[in-house]
Formats: sequence, structure tokens, C-alpha cells
Amino acid sequence: MKKIIIILLSLFLLMSFAFSANAKSLKFAFMPGIADPFYFTMEKGAKAKAKELGVQLIVGEFPKAWGPEYQVPILKALVARGDIDLLFTAPTSTEALIPVLKEIHDSGIPVITVDTYIGDGDYSKPSKYSFPLSYIGTDNFLGGQTVAGALAIMLKGKGKVFLENTNPDTSSVINREKGFRAGLKIFPDMELVGVEYCLDVQETAAAQVSAALQKHPDLAAVFGVNVFSAQGAYQAVARSGLQGAVKIATWDATQTLIQALKKGEVDLILAQMPAEMGALCVEWGVKYLKEGAKIPRKVIPGFFIFTKDNVNDPEAQQYIYK
Amino acid sequence: MIGNQKARHIFLSLIRRWIFFFFAAEIVFFSITGTNYFSLKNLQNILLASTTVLLLATGETFVIITGGIDLSVGFVVGLSSVVCAKVMVDLEAAGLSQTLSISSGIIAALILGLLPGLVNGLLVANFRVPPFVATFGMYGIAYGSAEIICNNVPVHNLPTSVASMGHGYLFYWLPGKAFTFLSKPENLTRMELKDLISIIPNVTMITFLAIGVFAFILAKTKFGQHTYAIGGCTTAAERAGVNVKNHLIKVYMISSFFASLAGVMYVLRFITGRAPAGSARLLDAVVAVVIGGASLYGGTGTILGTVIGALIIGALEIGLVNLAIPTYNLHIAVGCILILAVLVDQFSPELVHRED
Amino acid sequence: MNAPDPSISLNLNPSRQSKVFGFVGRNWALLFLLFMMIIFSFLGKNFFGLKNFTIIVLGVTSLLLLASGETFVIISGGIDLSIGFIMGFVCVSSAIIMRDLHAAGYSQTVSIMAGSFIGLLLGLIPGLINGVLIAKLRVPPFIATLGMWGIANGLAWRLCEGFPIAFLPPRVRELGMAYIAYFSTKKGFSLFQKPVLTERSDILSLVKIIPLPVLLITIILLIFAFILSRTKFGQHTYSIGGSVDASIRAGINVPMHLIKVYVISSFFASCAGVLLVFKLDMGVHTQYTSSYELFAIAAVVIGGASLMGGQGSILGTVIGVLLIGTLNNGLMMMGLPIFYRYIAVGCILIIAVLIDQFFPELVHRE
Repeated sequence: MKKIIIILLSLFLLMSFAFSANAKSLKFAFMPGIADPFYFTMEKGAKAKAKELGVQLIVGEFPKAWGPEYQVPILKALVARGDIDLLFTAPTSTEALIPVLKEIHDSGIPVITVDTYIGDGDYSKPSKYSFPLSYIGTDNFLGGQTVAGALAIMLKGKGKVFLENTNPDTSSVINREKGFRAGLKIFPDMELVGVEYCLDVQETAAAQVSAALQKHPDLAAVFGVNVFSAQGAYQAVARSGLQGAVKIATWDATQTLIQALKKGEVDLILAQMPAEMGALCVEWGVKYLKEGAKIPRKVIPGFFIFTKDNVNDPEAQQYIYK
Repeated sequence: MIGNQKARHIFLSLIRRWIFFFFAAEIVFFSITGTNYFSLKNLQNILLASTTVLLLATGETFVIITGGIDLSVGFVVGLSSVVCAKVMVDLEAAGLSQTLSISSGIIAALILGLLPGLVNGLLVANFRVPPFVATFGMYGIAYGSAEIICNNVPVHNLPTSVASMGHGYLFYWLPGKAFTFLSKPENLTRMELKDLISIIPNVTMITFLAIGVFAFILAKTKFGQHTYAIGGCTTAAERAGVNVKNHLIKVYMISSFFASLAGVMYVLRFITGRAPAGSARLLDAVVAVVIGGASLYGGTGTILGTVIGALIIGALEIGLVNLAIPTYNLHIAVGCILILAVLVDQFSPELVHRED
Repeated sequence: MNAPDPSISLNLNPSRQSKVFGFVGRNWALLFLLFMMIIFSFLGKNFFGLKNFTIIVLGVTSLLLLASGETFVIISGGIDLSIGFIMGFVCVSSAIIMRDLHAAGYSQTVSIMAGSFIGLLLGLIPGLINGVLIAKLRVPPFIATLGMWGIANGLAWRLCEGFPIAFLPPRVRELGMAYIAYFSTKKGFSLFQKPVLTERSDILSLVKIIPLPVLLITIILLIFAFILSRTKFGQHTYSIGGSVDASIRAGINVPMHLIKVYVISSFFASCAGVLLVFKLDMGVHTQYTSSYELFAIAAVVIGGASLMGGQGSILGTVIGVLLIGTLNNGLMMMGLPIFYRYIAVGCILIIAVLIDQFFPELVHRE
């Protein structure tokens, strides 16, 4: 037993020497919110930019579900490596992540929040959550409103709408729902007839939208808040033969959805700019660390709305997730 | 001959404790290949990250020893976290002091958390519903109720001292300058904060306290003996005068209690309450118990084994993050370890399960 | 020994009263299903009708297949937790094969056939491993299949990396959306060929009879219901579930039989996976939120099987699945929010088993 302990101890000693000295290039860490196409695209954008700027990018495990219980352990393990120069992350809870990120910030690692934020997302005035360098994000509420407005124009301000959501408790999609509701209020003749949650299971989404179409034969549009709910929605609509008659609006311009838009099965796609957001994090991080540049506290890169009319435009192609 | 027997004896005891070696090997492996894996901070991270699995698995150990299974615990975590957070928020809004609202939130959650266990126990013991079915039914009920209570939105705006409790450590040590108990030394500069060493998270302390108490109950008291007896053979236990029904109800309540404790710890750690809080950890907990040497047929298993089982999973998770290895490998690895664990048990049944 | 008789037929009981009780106890799931359909027809809008029943059945196609495979395993006294992720794994891999072959220039027929067949074959491997672990190496079914659950999930995730696998040959979609017959007031009756309609009211009034996937599933289920209830293989499955020792004494090769049972369960899962490709026109793998395996087990239990083994039937399982599907659809039509539906399904599951417990000798007497 003693011998084993001695061997183990000497191993640890050896290791601590072996890893003490390393060539110095910047090391950034990226901690996504959940394993889904949006963050995968963000990772790709960030990786490309990191390669260009000679930064080493370490990507944390993609959490298997949305929530601080999955993200925080991974995040802590990531920074415990001790060799990270900057962290950019999509916090999965506006409150749970405040102390966690504060501790990381206090240990000397600057933090950028991307896509989602902590507190109320306003880091410009001093508060207990104003320490991150910047919030590069999506305004899900505004996006929801935008979709509602675009749909209303498409439907000439009149009709029954159904919302297919994914997970409750996921702040981004819940904010999309809130924004969508708020956006619809402006149009007195638009009515939200139902909200369902498919828990990211596409088959469930299809079944729920089928049932909604059955309940409301005069349904005019469905808003699927993410890839899986939208795909389920348009499959249900296509099965009933009503493509084109029932408008489908969705979020996230994956290639699959763009193809469906070209085929006329989806009518409106709101694209965020995940790749740009990832690249921006890396670029600003380098500027901040190397030149001490001041970077903006809040940037919302905005949206791009794909419809049948602009999907083939050359300048629109950059917004498709790759 | 004698030497041979001695060697055999050592070999046997090694096999019986294979999970300890596996755990040690895992730590050594990641320490060599990883970056700063073997550090106080990271080891505490492993403990913190394993909190939910540790608690769920401890409760589950009792149930599994009796030959049952409890699937409801995953969502009981969520239910209790939502109730706990909601009570705290509402009481504070009603004007109660922080201490009072926090403690009543915790107590309310722990008491309410006994209810699913009571129902499970009654169904299993008095109505002879198979545990799998009774607790799966409760799984749906607990999830549904939790979502309804929190209205599909995580509970926010908790009293501010929840954060300092949940993120606090027992000791803080600034080498050469300060050593404090429970609260950080005051007026630190940013550089000093960087050097501050925090020792033993509060949450981990409470977790291990609870586990320790119940490890004692299982190993050293009559209650524990009866639990094993029921798992070994229900009819024999009845003949020996054990009130099996009553005992089973208590066991399911213990499991439920640990789930709601995990929910309370969730609120402390993450300062919010969420309905799906522990759902994806449910099967991890069962896996931990089985890796720890319990048999789903009942009658065997220890808390120590379970704790090591949970830590094997936790260390693996953190280790793979440290090495920046993609997530799917984790699922594959855990699946293989699980099957391996049982195979080792199968190939040396009389060796492993012989009483010392 | 429990005969493999689906529990529909009435038995001759001494008194009329116990006859009624026996019938209710034995067929409570079916009666409850009918009862619910009546209630929903009155309370829900547009619930009653061929269209909505098609929607209900289409919504549970995966669950139907998974639960039927699980029935074999549960009758033999085991449990298979891996089926949900095996389905995901097969769905993703067969979609990848179809996509890549099609992109490489093979004809649609070839790529679809190759994708489906390789998918089905791939899906047998996990079942084989499960079976060997359980039957030969005596690993408890719960654990062997839980291990496979993790492995299949990891592999499926590795293949698709969270993205849906799309850009399949167009005919996948056509097959998945096809119905056996169509009837429209304007264009009359047509087989397999969907009439071209432009007006919304015409589209809505188009009668579509039996989706192709449902027909396929019905055929598969009939074959396996026959195997379970009328062949020696089925009898042996029940007898192993009743008592392993007695089965060995009766000369059944129990390990071999168990391996076959787990391969069957896995086969059903891979059928579900391939079918899902056609249904969704893409390969999709959902991780934890789907809980297919748990709902499949629940359906089997509602259908009258016992987790102790020896009891259950395909018909019962089908009723169990339809019960869950109808409950979800009907409560949604009534406007009950989703999470109340979770509670409802949980309660019904428990009631199912309680009824079994309260009428034990009536329900299980042969």
C-alpha cells in the first residue's frame, strides 16, 4: 500500500513540473448553452476566427439539456484548468450564473456573455452583475415581436395563430414566446389560439400541430420557436395538404429549414447570426487583452428575415447557418 | 500452500474493492493527461458537480437494497426546488425577514418532499403495485405539478443571502494573511481574491453530512438490517417479525427525502427553482448505485459503494471536459463502465458477495 | 401456466356478477379507452372523426412499435431500456446512408432500400449484445440495457451532432406521407394517388384513408401478435416469464430464447427508427427529453402485462399505447395544458395497476 502511495505522489509531482511551462499563446474558452445547431454554428464561427488570429479555443462540453445544473459543473471544470485567458459563454440562467461568473471574473478571467445574459443584460451601469466585458446577444423578445409583425403583414393582419414551443424553463424560447404575444397584441384581429411544448421531440411537435390543425381548421399560421418544433410543424401542415395556406414562421436558418423555405413549406425564417457572434467574441477578446481596447458593453447583431422572395439573394447567403 | 492462499486472499479483496482502484486509476489518468485536474479547486468541483447524483443515489440505494426502484426522484428534485424557491420568494415579498423566509422555504420543501415517497410507499407496500410502475406514475405527476406551480418559468428573485449560502465555503484561507470561517475575509483587492483559497463548499458539507447519517443508519442500526433482510427475502423478513409494509413505506420516504434535499441544494447552488432540475440525473443515480455494487435483485449494496460510484461518474464528466473531449464519449464510456461493473460482479459472485 | 390468449374473450365464470366484474377487470383499458373517446367526442371540438383518429394513430406510431417489442421482453420477465435510443441511432444512421448514397448519384430506390436495410440490420446489433449479456453473462436486464442506453445515445449523437439529417431522396417524403386511398367530393376515389386540389375547403374535406406507415405497422404487429399468441416461440416466451426453472426443465433453451427476445425488441426499435425517417423526412435523435422507453413500458403495463413476467399481449399493448395517445390528444382538444396531461397519464398508469391488484383472480384467471 505504502509503495503505491509513494508512486502516486511522485507521479503527481512529475506532472506538476511537466505542465508548468508552455509557450504563451492566448487561450479562450467557449461554454455553450445546450447542444443544438445554433451553438454548433457559433462554435464554428468562433473557431474560424480563432484560427485566423492565432488564438487557441477550448470548447466546453455541450450540455445535454438547458439549465444551470448542466452548465455550471462544465463551466467550473473548464476554468479550473487554470490556463484560460478569456471566457465567453451563453448563461443558461439570468440569476444562477451571476455568482459563478463573478467568481471566474474575480479569479482574473474576463467574461463575455453571448446570446444570453445575466441580470437584465445591461452592464453599462454598476450593479452586482455588471462585471462582464460585453453582452453580444440576441434579443429574443424583440425577435418574437418581429416574427409576429412579419406574420401579421403576411396574413394582412388577420387570422388565428398557433405557437409550437420546445421547453418551458428555457429563457430564450420563453422570451420568444413573450415577444410573439406582445407583437400580436398590436393586431386586434390576430388571435393566438394555443401554445404547446414538444420538449424538442420533433415527432411530438408534429402530433401537436396536427391536433391543433384539427381543432382549428381555419388556422392561418404556426410559429415554431426552434428547429425541431418548426420542422414538426411544417411536416404536420404538409401532411394535411395545406402548405402555403397555413403559414409557418420559424427561428434559426439551418440549411434544412432554408431548403424547406425554398420548397414553400416554410414561409418566414428569422436568422440570428451565431457565427458572427462567435467570431466577434474572439476578435474583441483579442483586442481587449492585447491592446487594452475598450469594447462596447452591449451589442445586438440583429436579425435577418428570410422569405421566399429574398432566399436566393447573394447577400442573404451569409446568414444561413453552416 | 499458505502463501498461495494469502495471495488468493489479497486477490479476492482487491477484486471486491475494484471500484476503489478504478476510481483511483481514473483520477491518476486524468491528472496525468489533463490540465490542472489534480487541484484542490477541481476536486471540489467534482464533489459539487456530483451533488445531485450523490444525494439521489444515496436514497436510491435504500430502495434498491429492498429490491425496488424509484424513478420519481428525478422530478421530485424539480418539484422540491420549485416549492422551496417559490415559498422563499413569496414570504420575502410578504415582508418576512430573509432568514425566516429561507428557512421556511427549506422546511416546506423537505416536508412536501416526503409526500411523493409516502404515496409511492403506500402503493408499493399496501397495494402491491410494482415499484417501477408506481414511481413512474409519480414521475409524471411530480413533473406536471412542478411545472404548474412555477407556471413554466424558473422561479427568480430569491432572497439575496441564498447565494452567499449556496456559494459559500466552510473555510477561506489567504496564505499568510487571513483564515476565516464561513465568510470571506473582508476588503480584499482583486489580486488577493485571485489567491484566496476556499475550502469545502457548504453544499458539499451538508450533502456528506446527510449521507453520513444515513450510511450509519444503513450499516449499523436495526433499520438497516431490516432493509437488507427485506431485499434478501421478503417472506423470511416477515417471519422474522419485520413489519415489511411499514418498513417499505419508510424506505420510499427516505428516497423521496433525499430527492427533495437535492432540490433544496439545487436552490442554494443555482438560486432558482426549475421543474426539470434533476430529471436527466435520474438514471445516472441508478447507474451510480449499481456501479457501487448493489444488485437490482435486492439485498446487497452499501452507501460507500454508491458514493464511489457517483464520484466515478462525476470525475469522468469533469475529466472529459478538462481534456476537451466531445460529450458523446461520456455516454458511451458510462454505459461501458456500467456493464463492466456488473460483469466483474458476475464473474466472481462468490468472491464478491461473500461476507467478510 | 398462462396461455398466450389475448384477454378479450369472456370466460365462463360461475355467477353472472363475477362474470361482469371479470370482464371489466380484464378489459378495463379497452373500456376506459372507449369511455374516453365518448367523453372527448362530446367535450372536445372536432375530436370525433376519421381525420382525428388518423392523427392520434400517426402520433404514436413510434410508441406502438417500441411498446410491442417491449411486450416480448416484459413477458419474458425482463426489461429493455435501450429501445428509445436504439430508435434514434437507427433513424440517424439510416438517414445518413440514404442522404450520402443519393448525393453520390445512386438512384432514389437504391439509396432508400440500402438505407432502410442497413438501418434495420444495424439495429439488431444492440439487441444481440443485450441478449448475450443478459442470457449468457447473467447481467440483469435493467443494467445491460441501461448500459446500451448510454452507448446508443452516444453513438447516435456522435453521428448527427445535434443536427437533423436532411436532404434525403424526395421519394422518402412521398412514401412517408402517402395514404392508401383518397376520396374527394370533386375528384372521386383514388388509390395511392393524391388528387390535386387547390381550394382550402376542398383540401380540408379530402378524406384520406389509412396512412402507409400505419398499414406497415399493422402488418408487422399482426405477424408478431401471431407469433406471440399462436406459435411455440410465443408459448416459450410466456413460460420463461412464468418460471425460468420450469422452462429449463421443460427443455427450452432459455439463453437462446432470451437472446432472440432481445433481438426482437431491438428489431422493433429499428423498425421504429427507419419508419421515423420516412415520417419526418429526416433523421433526428432526441436525447433525454423524449423518454420513449419509459412511455413504452408504461403502455405495456397499462395493456395488462406484469413486470414480473408471464403476462401481456400485443393487443393489450396496442390498447395501452392508444390510451396514452387518445388521452393526450383528447385533453389537448379540450384545451387542458400539457402539464396537466402529464399528471393525468401518471394517475392513469397507477390506476391501471391498482385495478389489476383489486381484481387479481378475476383478471388473471384463465
